[in-house]
Amino acid sequence: MSAPWLDVLDDTIRSCVTHNRPDLAERLREQRARQLDPKLRVLVLGEPRQGKSQLVNALVNASVCAVGDDVTTTVPTFVQHAETPSAALVRTNADTPTERIPVPIDRLAGELRAGRVDRLVRAEVGLPRALLTSGLVLIDTPGVGDPRPARTASTFAALLQADAVLMVSDATAELTASELDLLKRAMASCPNVVVVLTKIDLATRWRHVLERNRGRLARAGVAAKLIPVSAALRLRAARTGDRALNAESGFPELLACVQRDIVAAADVLARRTVAVTAASALRQLVVPVREELTAHGSPVAVARLNEAQRRVDELRRRSARWQAVLADEMADLVSDVEYDLRDRTRRILREVDRVFETADPARGWDAFEEWLEDNLTEAAAANFAWLLDRSRWVAEKVARSFPVHRDDLLPEGVFPPDVLDRVAKLDKPLIERFTVGQKLFTGLRGSYGGVLMLGLVTSLAGMPLINAISLGAGALFGGKTVLDESEQRLRRRQAAARVAAQRHVDDFLLKFGKDFRDAARHIQRSLRTHFSTLADELQETLLESARSARRAVQEDTTARERRTQEAKRELDRLVRLYQRVQALGDERAAPLVLSA
Amino acid sequence: MTLAEEVRLLLEQALAVYRDSPRAAAWLRRHRSRLDEPVRVAVAGASRAGKSTAVSALVGEEFVPTGAWAWYRDGTRARAVVGGHEVPIARRDGRAFVDVGDAERVDVEWPARSLRDVVLVDTPADAPVEQVYGEADAVLYLTRHVGSADLRYLRAAHDHPVARAAPVNTVLVLARADEVGGGRIDALSSARLIARRHRREPQVKPLCQQVVALAGLLAAAARTLRDDEFAALTALAAAARVDLEDHLLSADRFVGEDFPVPLPAAARRALVDRFGIFGVRLTTTLIRQGFGTRVQLTGQLVQRSGLAELREAVGAHFTERRDALKARSALLGLDVVLRNENRPGTAALAAGVERVLASAHDFRELRLLAALQAGRVRLPEEQAAEATRLVGGLGTSPAARLGVERLPGDELRPAVLDALGRWRERAADPASDQGARRAAAVVVRSCEGVLAVS
Repeated sequence: MSAPWLDVLDDTIRSCVTHNRPDLAERLREQRARQLDPKLRVLVLGEPRQGKSQLVNALVNASVCAVGDDVTTTVPTFVQHAETPSAALVRTNADTPTERIPVPIDRLAGELRAGRVDRLVRAEVGLPRALLTSGLVLIDTPGVGDPRPARTASTFAALLQADAVLMVSDATAELTASELDLLKRAMASCPNVVVVLTKIDLATRWRHVLERNRGRLARAGVAAKLIPVSAALRLRAARTGDRALNAESGFPELLACVQRDIVAAADVLARRTVAVTAASALRQLVVPVREELTAHGSPVAVARLNEAQRRVDELRRRSARWQAVLADEMADLVSDVEYDLRDRTRRILREVDRVFETADPARGWDAFEEWLEDNLTEAAAANFAWLLDRSRWVAEKVARSFPVHRDDLLPEGVFPPDVLDRVAKLDKPLIERFTVGQKLFTGLRGSYGGVLMLGLVTSLAGMPLINAISLGAGALFGGKTVLDESEQRLRRRQAAARVAAQRHVDDFLLKFGKDFRDAARHIQRSLRTHFSTLADELQETLLESARSARRAVQEDTTARERRTQEAKRELDRLVRLYQRVQALGDERAAPLVLSA
Repeated sequence: MTLAEEVRLLLEQALAVYRDSPRAAAWLRRHRSRLDEPVRVAVAGASRAGKSTAVSALVGEEFVPTGAWAWYRDGTRARAVVGGHEVPIARRDGRAFVDVGDAERVDVEWPARSLRDVVLVDTPADAPVEQVYGEADAVLYLTRHVGSADLRYLRAAHDHPVARAAPVNTVLVLARADEVGGGRIDALSSARLIARRHRREPQVKPLCQQVVALAGLLAAAARTLRDDEFAALTALAAAARVDLEDHLLSADRFVGEDFPVPLPAAARRALVDRFGIFGVRLTTTLIRQGFGTRVQLTGQLVQRSGLAELREAVGAHFTERRDALKARSALLGLDVVLRNENRPGTAALAAGVERVLASAHDFRELRLLAALQAGRVRLPEEQAAEATRLVGGLGTSPAARLGVERLPGDELRPAVLDALGRWRERAADPASDQGARRAAAVVVRSCEGVLAVS
């Protein structure tokens, strides 16, 4: 089924071609391609043990996400449309960015639980489902707030790219303060949130909980819809084909909500974008035609020609300005964001130093490693989010210094995907242990001095070299040497751990710094391309009206009259097309002023 | 001199030093009288974690949650006191109800065998951690599933010099175990597996002595099972499984129309409120399996709900360690006074506290247990398990320490002597490190203690 906006867009592209504006046509074609392949990322978010994976399973009627009685989901699972059921594990490698390992779909849950593949980033599942054909991608995430090395950071990284969020909370208890915090945090990144109340088969008083949750959301000022569901009932209904049970499970309502609020909302968004772009293209087509119509006598035509040439010159002058703004702002941005990243990692390193002043790296290295990893990922995510915010702001600023104002001045999608790959694993420093043999040797070495020293002194008093006093001193000296040695070894271990942490942070800085500078360059390049395309279009429009003005000056009266007729017909056609475009977008585009 | 006597003596000395300060004296007197009480066990946790339900299950009587600090003690007759006045205990839907108003605290005396060795304190959800650990000698911390917020709470509880010197007095309870896995029929065994995993987890291990799973709703209902409920459950179990299956899918269906068993909807609602849909599923299955009498059913439910395990944990870690826990609370209380009011005798008293903490064998045992659990002392796995057992980690009776069910008196001595010999060797073994040798010395002292009482 082709969407109505597609026809209008195609007509507009054809008009651009006939009006000899291939640049406009090209831009519209790009837009068309982008709108035809939409990916709608719906993030399933919540605290552990609330039934997130089971919700995804029940939504697609297949057990693709691992569910269990204990914490099971460890990496995000992306469920999207595919012609045949398929699954893959995606992991990072030291040398290649990511690697996909296909696995049989029925073995995916087992593979994830076994955790045989390390450095997993995500799992991907393809399923032939009507629900997913519109480009919907369901993302099951690890629970937020699990004390074990949960990949909470990966959840928040995924949140940045989400189009909608299903926040899951079970009906056996009301929303807690931490859940409300999480909800607000999610809404800050993605305002399209639906709260799903799961396990209503199990909770006797779920209606009461539902009411209380409504109250809580209202008091917290969160405008999110609440939908009660039961995945157990839905899965059973799917097995037995029981329609009444399916209705009871609450899933039809949830699906309708997903369809209406997420998929349909995305469609509205697509239509609006198309309407804005098409309208702006049409307005540019109309300008030369209309100017040709208004040109009646030669004095007017000459004045118009002068005016058109003046505007072309002015455009050239002013386009130097926005380029300067863009270059300056991007340089500022890079230095600020880089400073921020260094500052964050420096704070982490300080903490590492503080810890290893007292702690022994031989114990608790694993816990430290997790801590460092989590903190670095969090720093990277925060830093990256800031980069995105800033670059959006730069785009706005450049748009302000652009010579003319247009609806589609601000670009979309200049931000590169998937920057947050993890860096290589932290190398465990060489931890030298103080073995018994070494202790014995060190002790003997120390005691030797003691025995000799006091033995010589006491031998003056006529005692033999080896006597009770010299032996005692030997034992004392030996003990002290062993103590000193183990102290020294601890210091060496601590120093080694600090160096390893430092080196890892350096690696991280190098890798992430590169990624982030690439991202910044990518953004700058996209912004430059975007704005220069706009500037070129503008210039082309102005040149076209200058050309038509010149024609008007040169042509004789009869030819001019024929052209006026043609122009009138063409203008009518364009106006009709423009009206169709306007009908697409909900917001009214600026009315087209007709002076003919 | 036993630990209790030493601590009492310290308190007497402190009372002599602080006799001119009414506030300090009253505080110290309160702690002195606390020494004679049974162990105070606070039931703490976030809201809706199942605190009141757990208290009801332990006492064996259903109480309506009050939202205030509720103290349950053994008494000759049932009475409740709010703000110094006795208030009536009413019955509401078969549950005991005390009108607390907006008072902060209610004292309930209730004649029950289960309260003979403990005083239970039901705390409000927002009670500050210092207050909970200050009022109680030991804590049952309830949570639905262990999250970082719970770990933060427990870490805060261990952040005190005396608490560190005489560590751990907490049992972590995974309450509402019946909700695990969407209320499947094997939810409880699954919950027990999760509890076992938490016991081994390095982040949880140092913060509590034991992790148990409890299906509070089921346990409370089992302890207070009524005749009409039992009759209703039997009637349900008598119906064909196929007929009933669809109606046990959800709580809504259970109280819905077209029910195959002649039970009024109100009775069904009451049943599902008391047992939960999981409880109804489990009880009917149990009755079908042949636990057909009330006594059999109650026994099974107490066992399966985890209540038996919880009671054992309270017994082994709290009531049997009564002296150590009481002394610990008293020393904590004394420490507060010594810190806040400086007197000529304060330094001597502080040294006394220090001496008791360092020398009392009970505390040494507790410290060794904590060190073993946190991995600060490394022993080979077998030895660690034996050491944990011998220093009373699984219970302080001689039989529990030796890891046997029950021993005839004449066989006890050889077994202890055998363990003693082995650990003496380890205490003197030059090949092992100092931590291990010290640990072995503590175990030796524990063995000698067993020998002395046997």
